[in-house]
Amino acid sequence: MPSEEFYVRYYSGHQGRYGHEFIEFEFHADGRCRYANNSNYRNDSLIKKEMTVSPLMIKELKRIIEESEVMKEDDNKWPKKNIVGKQELEIRCGNEHVSFETAKIGSLVDVQGSDDPEGLRVFYYLVQDLKCLVFSLITLHWKIKPI
Amino acid sequence: MTDKYEIDLNVRPGEDLLDEEMAEAPQVAVKRKGRGFQSGDQRGDGVNSSAFDKLGSNDDKTTGNALKSIEGWIVLITGVHEEATEEDINDKFGEFGEIKNVHLNLDRRTGYVKGYALVEYASFKEAQDAITEMNGAKLLDQTLTCDFAFVKPPTSDDRGRRGFSTRGRGGGRRSGRSNSPGRR
Repeated sequence: MPSEEFYVRYYSGHQGRYGHEFIEFEFHADGRCRYANNSNYRNDSLIKKEMTVSPLMIKELKRIIEESEVMKEDDNKWPKKNIVGKQELEIRCGNEHVSFETAKIGSLVDVQGSDDPEGLRVFYYLVQDLKCLVFSLITLHWKIKPI
Repeated sequence: MTDKYEIDLNVRPGEDLLDEEMAEAPQVAVKRKGRGFQSGDQRGDGVNSSAFDKLGSNDDKTTGNALKSIEGWIVLITGVHEEATEEDINDKFGEFGEIKNVHLNLDRRTGYVKGYALVEYASFKEAQDAITEMNGAKLLDQTLTCDFAFVKPPTSDDRGRRGFSTRGRGGGRRSGRSNSPGRR
């Protein structure tokens, strides 16, 4: 795998009754993956995990991003961040670098009702696929199976 | 792919990425897009903060660069056919040892398999056997690629300079990465 510039970061969060609640994760080209999840709900504290994934995992992550074609999108018509919160998706892939910012999306209804449903749909599904991957990695790497 | 530049990703959006040393290297314009670059928001203390939980890297030379997860060894399988089932994975990968866990994630848009699977074995040997035997094998006419999902963290010494070692994998595979750009 060529050591092309590559970086992915996703953030979703808001300020509310339970402080700054958010989840954020990032992947670096060398495999470093960090995950942070914060809520003060019931005195919960910040969860921070770091792991290193293999080059094959990074390659698969790149494939998922490339096949989504999210790099062709633009966030200028997406709903702006609001009181409910915001999402950020930053991807550096070769010579392209995007840093998208938009409101939280509850469901596809929000996507359809937006000014750029096609673009926002790409973002919406990619984010779900990325979260799904990260949660699997975290679960398998960290969680002890209940008896 | 050539390494024409190196960019510090910790630089906040909007800051000038060029410094004197970098100006010496031939520049390739990076196309930037998105409101995130204009946003003056304070970033949270999320992934940029310190003190992350990590699973320690054991210095066990017999397990190469692979890293054990909390309960076992995780194998990543890519090239998985979109119509593959958990049963297919269990059939193929169960012969190397008992599979403790399978994650066969779906594409959220299509509902078909996304293309990768994560399989957990209790022992290193089972995982290594599965990788050796199944890397390059076919499942539903698609060629699988298999490797450990987690590896030991790069030491500060080789971060960004060397790829992951493939020690103990046999077959003299090359390190798989081109040389990094010169030191800044």
